[in-house]
Amino acid sequence: MASRRLSSISQHVVPRQYSTLQVGAKYTNEFQSYVKLANGEIGSCFHDVPLGLDKQTNTVNALIEIPRWSNAKFEINKEIAFNPITQDSKKGKPRFVKNLFPFKGYIHNYGAIPQTWDDPTVEDVETGFRGDNDPIDVCEIGSRIAQTGEIYRVKVLGALALIDDGELDWKVIVIDTRDPLSKQLSDIEDVERDMPGLLDATRRWFREYKLPDGKPKNEFGYEEQFLNASKAIEVIEHSHQSWKKLIQGEVSVEKVSIKNVTLNGTPGYTSSPSVQESIKPDAKIPDDIEKSYFY
Amino acid sequence: MAYTTRQIGAKNTLDYKVYIEKDGQPVSAFHDIPLYADESKQILNMIVEIPRWSNAKLEISKEQELNPIIQDTKKGKLRFVRNVFPHHGYIHNYGAFPQTWEDPNQTHPETKAKGDNDPLDVCEIGEAVGYTGQVKQVKVLGVMALLDEGETDWKVIVIDVNDPLAPKLNDIEDVERHLPGLLRATNEWFRIYKIPDGKPENQFAFSGEAKNKKYAEEVIRECSEAWEKLIKGQTSPDGIALTNTTLDGTDSFSTSVAVPAGEDLKDAPIDKSIDKWFFISGASA
Repeated sequence: MASRRLSSISQHVVPRQYSTLQVGAKYTNEFQSYVKLANGEIGSCFHDVPLGLDKQTNTVNALIEIPRWSNAKFEINKEIAFNPITQDSKKGKPRFVKNLFPFKGYIHNYGAIPQTWDDPTVEDVETGFRGDNDPIDVCEIGSRIAQTGEIYRVKVLGALALIDDGELDWKVIVIDTRDPLSKQLSDIEDVERDMPGLLDATRRWFREYKLPDGKPKNEFGYEEQFLNASKAIEVIEHSHQSWKKLIQGEVSVEKVSIKNVTLNGTPGYTSSPSVQESIKPDAKIPDDIEKSYFY
Repeated sequence: MAYTTRQIGAKNTLDYKVYIEKDGQPVSAFHDIPLYADESKQILNMIVEIPRWSNAKLEISKEQELNPIIQDTKKGKLRFVRNVFPHHGYIHNYGAFPQTWEDPNQTHPETKAKGDNDPLDVCEIGEAVGYTGQVKQVKVLGVMALLDEGETDWKVIVIDVNDPLAPKLNDIEDVERHLPGLLRATNEWFRIYKIPDGKPENQFAFSGEAKNKKYAEEVIRECSEAWEKLIKGQTSPDGIALTNTTLDGTDSFSTSVAVPAGEDLKDAPIDKSIDKWFFISGASA
């Protein structure tokens, strides 16, 4: 029964009108951005926003965490109930990624695919690495700069298997279906044709982005190659199956909240919380985030 | 030496003007700020026009009295440089040396091209993002000779003397050592930045090589001398406003220039189309 309800939810293709509810000031540890569902209730962007996979068009729903050319490391918080977006912290302070010359901040609209999960208890058959216990990441390459918390339809074009701190951390390359270029991009080679240099830059960015923090270079699975769109869809489907196990309570992982308001029959199903919106002016981004690092 | 700025109009509008003030009084960014902050230590003043990572083409107005910084226009519309992948906006704090001028009547013996009729351009490579109208104290590291639509348009490479890296950078080869890839990126950026506007690729003289500090100092000296002839009326100004408030003895000296009071206005929004990234084949990260 539960699984039937789940699959019917996954088939929602067009995102309904999602909005965000903000708590606290951006660039502070208090900042939280919750997703508000079509009925105005707070839900989980991890569990309550459908994957929305359409295999005719290779499209899914994506949630943007980090706008292109910005540095604040916003991400879906797995631990807090209803998984608001929060800013990752390091030594108690809000975390910012450094500028890796010639780039400024992130080079894509960066985010995640709802209802997907890289299972940390299972080894990937190809690479032998375990999943990173997160939703699958997306790099959205459209020309518009997105906002933190935005949800929209994207077309899947390929995927890169980043190995970050010994964990498999898929980066799926996607484009906003509303972008003028979307019509002419269907697979990974189209990206190289129409946006020459972007894929090499993407690989370099993920390889080196932690060097300024004193960490080693990252590596990649699959001989550092970008997988094509159909392989990327397989990766997404596989991680959606992993997510289903998670949400059904078949895998138990500490510190991952599975609370949700739409998946009747799952152990985390509950009523929507009441959260008081409190938008405050953005805090100042520290001056040292202006520095570029050269390698 | 306490310089401040006076803003008129909102940023990203045709009304926007930034005057530089000395002790609260508007002065000319072109003529009144001394080129040398400390000549014995080879520390120069630089006027920041365009902060790093931004797109608005802000520049010292040659025509307006006291030469405020305004946004360049194209067919009556505000001009923004496009983002050329992998870069975002300008890659340096970009600006000019005061009291310098690239004389359009003189052909440079090595580049064989005439001056572009502007103050000498400066690329400041320190880590802090500057602001429009900032007067920075900088040291000279080298120079590149851009040939922009047939004119010599020198780009002097400098670093803010207060930057943590400044003590380690003394000549052009130190830039490559400590900021590897920056000069190549600078070369690429100036070659391709007008391609999205339908213009051809720019060329550099000297096969694109950056010349060293000594060469740069010579270029600065020439442009400083050209400016001196200009301000003394020995060269025809041809539309350039020479009005100044400090150069007693020049014909254009004046202490009674009326400048409106400053306004503290919110930036106007920039059109979303400026967010687009242009991918130029052959450019590389």
